[in-house]
Amino acid sequence: MARKTSFGRDRGLEARMVLTLFLLGLVYAVLIGALIASGAGAAIIAIAAGGLFLLQFLTSDKIALLSMGAREVSPQDYPQLHAIVERLCVQANLPKPHVAVAQTAMPNAFAVGRSPRNATVCATTGILDLLTPVELEAVLGHELTHVQNRDVMVMTIASFFASIASFIVQIGFWFGGAFDDEREGGALSFMAVVLISAIVYVVSWLLLQALSRYREFAADRGSAILTGRPSALISALLKISGSMQTVPRQDLRAASGELAAFYIFPPKAKQTVASLFATHPPLEARIAALQRLEAQLQGTA
Amino acid sequence: MGFLDVLMGKRKLAAPAADRLFAMSTAYVKFETELSITTAGSAAIVFQPLATADFSSIVKDMEEVVRATSADSGTAVETSDDSYGYRWLILRGPDFDSLVVGINAVSSALEAGGYGERVLCAVFGFRDEAKHPLYWIYNYKRGLFYPFVPAPGEEQRNVEREFVLKAQVGNELPVEAEHERWFPLWGIPI
Repeated sequence: MARKTSFGRDRGLEARMVLTLFLLGLVYAVLIGALIASGAGAAIIAIAAGGLFLLQFLTSDKIALLSMGAREVSPQDYPQLHAIVERLCVQANLPKPHVAVAQTAMPNAFAVGRSPRNATVCATTGILDLLTPVELEAVLGHELTHVQNRDVMVMTIASFFASIASFIVQIGFWFGGAFDDEREGGALSFMAVVLISAIVYVVSWLLLQALSRYREFAADRGSAILTGRPSALISALLKISGSMQTVPRQDLRAASGELAAFYIFPPKAKQTVASLFATHPPLEARIAALQRLEAQLQGTA
Repeated sequence: MGFLDVLMGKRKLAAPAADRLFAMSTAYVKFETELSITTAGSAAIVFQPLATADFSSIVKDMEEVVRATSADSGTAVETSDDSYGYRWLILRGPDFDSLVVGINAVSSALEAGGYGERVLCAVFGFRDEAKHPLYWIYNYKRGLFYPFVPAPGEEQRNVEREFVLKAQVGNELPVEAEHERWFPLWGIPI
């Protein structure tokens, strides 16, 4: 009987993403209810927010690339980078995105673009120097999975109502006093909307962070599936993360002098509250998830 | 180490956990049959030599014992000192199980002589399909194994291969879960 060596569906991750999106929707329903209850001004808010949303939707990738100083590069300039991206696109059945390079020593790679058809994948010179071709392929596979999952679009839409909420809060601060002659209790009801918006903003922001983390896990999975080498991504992440959490370079005989007596390592600080605010899951969690994938691949899970 | 020990600055070195060493014999079956990894015909135990008289005599006795028992199995014994001041007792022979038994004999002798804390680790040498060296290091103080795959270049290691190995034999071998403790041994003489 043949052994299953492919990856199964990660139903837990899918369930968590669905739940997060559902909670976000619920929160926005509350906001809309409050907007409707307040009556006047809602139309203006909707039009302004809609305009902002469209602007963000259409220009955010260019802004992101500009802010990183990324320039599109040709296959002649960076043949290996283009080759890696092309192979991944064949594997992922994606149209080849634009390829850009940012001149900075900070190792980083990212993808922008609301659909696979107009996407750009960018790598910094720092990451190109740091990683081996196999590790670079794993990292670019992660980014292409973001493109394939349309994460930019999903996160933009998900954050749309959070943007409206923050917009309302700002209007409330600036114009709070000017609405009290509209109708009985007009100022009060408007302030109520502002308050609700503030709460909506905070709650939705926390949920957006959670959604962002889950999509990072999904992108890690995607990279593992595309390359078939989850451990290559582990190796890349360890290199990028710096020397504290990586597989050590120090010889066991050198290390044992200080540690033999204690065998104490700095305790990993428990990150509970801090992790609510993080856009990326902690490195250990990502590595553990990738190791589970590797075990599945090897048939030992 | 209890709280009082911490307060009073007492240090207790961990005693070696030799019982898990034999897991390597079971794992080797999987290496050979499923993973095409074969023994390089060598294994070593690394320890800090002490300048005391009885330590030297224990080491001498140990070498005698290993030589005597290994004469039939064709295992050769040699010692060498490295630049960190550690001594390597190296066993070479074609039969992997004899190597494991020999390594265990050495660590037991050291422990019986009261020098268990001086044992750093045991190293088992292997070759993969492409004849590249890879090693499994047994950390006596933690009772856990971890992989070490040197890569071309000065003090380079193939981290990806190490994680793949861990995934492959994680069920057969007690592997160190904290990868921050996967200390390499540069310049392994086996």
